[in-house]
Amino acid sequence: MIAPEGTTDSPPTADISQLADHLFRHEFAKLVSVLTRIFGIDRLDFAEDIVQETLAKALRTWPYIGVPRNPAAWLTQAAKNLALDHIRREKLHRDKEAQIIASFEDWSSDPDSESPQFENEIKDGKLRLIFACCHPSIPPEAQTALALKTLCGFSPAEIAKAFLTTEAAIAKRLTRAKQRIRELRIPFEIPSGEELSSRLDAVLQTVYLLFNEGYKASSGENLIREELCSEAIRLAALISEHPATDLPRTHALLSLMLLNAARLRARTDSDGNVLRLKDQDRSLWDRAMITRGIVQLGQSAVGNEISEYHLQAGIAACHCSAPDFQSTDWPRILALYDQLVLIDDSPIVALNRAVAVAQVDGPEAGINAIAAIRNCQSLESYYLFYAILGEFESRLENFPTAARHLRRAIQLAEIGSEKALLSARLAECENQPTRVTKLV
Amino acid sequence: MIFFRGNDWDKNLSPEELQKVTSNFMAWFERLSADGIAKGGAPLESETHVVSASKGRIVSDGPFAESKEAIAGFFLLHVASMEEAVEIAKQCPTLKYGVNVEVRQVAPECTKMRLAEQLVAHGAA
Repeated sequence: MIAPEGTTDSPPTADISQLADHLFRHEFAKLVSVLTRIFGIDRLDFAEDIVQETLAKALRTWPYIGVPRNPAAWLTQAAKNLALDHIRREKLHRDKEAQIIASFEDWSSDPDSESPQFENEIKDGKLRLIFACCHPSIPPEAQTALALKTLCGFSPAEIAKAFLTTEAAIAKRLTRAKQRIRELRIPFEIPSGEELSSRLDAVLQTVYLLFNEGYKASSGENLIREELCSEAIRLAALISEHPATDLPRTHALLSLMLLNAARLRARTDSDGNVLRLKDQDRSLWDRAMITRGIVQLGQSAVGNEISEYHLQAGIAACHCSAPDFQSTDWPRILALYDQLVLIDDSPIVALNRAVAVAQVDGPEAGINAIAAIRNCQSLESYYLFYAILGEFESRLENFPTAARHLRRAIQLAEIGSEKALLSARLAECENQPTRVTKLV
Repeated sequence: MIFFRGNDWDKNLSPEELQKVTSNFMAWFERLSADGIAKGGAPLESETHVVSASKGRIVSDGPFAESKEAIAGFFLLHVASMEEAVEIAKQCPTLKYGVNVEVRQVAPECTKMRLAEQLVAHGAA
């Protein structure tokens, strides 16, 4: 086959769709933000539709014409053409048409030859888009959906898979979010002055939630969940690179996500069974990602403010820098948790702190730490609460009590591989000879 | 060819250099915690602007290795006992296939609201 000029030989369609997908994810926010700057934030839908259509066009034509030599430039040019077609056809912006066409002329089609000034505008545009999507007037669950749609180019179906909900529910969330943007006239700008700090916190919180969605579950669409983690990391990196938001807590958030994501691959074995930290093959941990995480950790240690992200990043760093489970610096982890519980009163944090307490001061201290957790009602239906108590009791050789907790944990656990792990622990406890009076 | 600026952070730092960066962080942390930390991150509860549209802050599960990986594996389904949370969970159509559901706990009231009520009560007195 002879490839047309300016293209390479045509690779198989599957590869093209993968390449387009990858490129698209990375170009999406940029294209949407440039179009939004030109057409206004109230036409966010229009911008997204144009960019979606651009990808569809790439997927349709690339298998025939081959992958363009500069795919990003191709996408940009195609998006511009589509936008112009729409303007002319719909006559929506007749009064502004000349101005819009002028803006298009500033917009180079070749990302490699963009002026540094335009490059800064792109950075600004992306950050503006992030601030608009994470505006506090939009409900949090809609913020994460909107971020995935608008900043990461996820389809509603993909978002639904990632959040384990229906496509219709996601579509509703997205529509409402965009309605609010229009109704409240949410500005397309980077906040400044005092507002910046609180608005940035809202943005970071959304990115953190996005990461957690990807990190927490072992079930379902693993691939898409890993993608959520990497998109959250990408967004945080983008935020950390803009001078307005290049702040210590941004780096701390980025660090904690990198250091946790670095361990993702080692968390299950080849059969999908859950592995405990001490059983994980640490050579599977992503060293390059750990390095990035530690570099970010270093950049976060500035100034006089410690955020919850700093403390979580510090904890993750302790795990990542331990060559094996035995050499984990538990006293340090506990010191970090001691501070974390001061600024985050979540019972989940307190429960995790109890594990560190047990590693440092023994299982009995761990049990006491659990008993001291305030507002622990929400833990009563949480399988790890019982799994941890069971673990502590079995270390104390109170096997019948341990078995009771483990049975409750098994009831509450919902994933087969977790039930299996807990059942194995239960069997160990049940097979212990009943402890008779301890001889002194 | 991808535009992920920042891939180059991935400088080849030696394990010793990484250790040094980590130690610097820990030294910084210890200095601040000795000074009585906390002022840094305003307590999460008062940072509730994220959810000013709804009722309180999101309590989400975090990427904590201690409970998930040290004890019983890493998966964590945050099941709150509050009715709203359960209602949300029930709407998930994949529930019956044994899929876990995202459930978030909403604090009973927003601290800003509490503050406002206190101020009103104070003003009325």
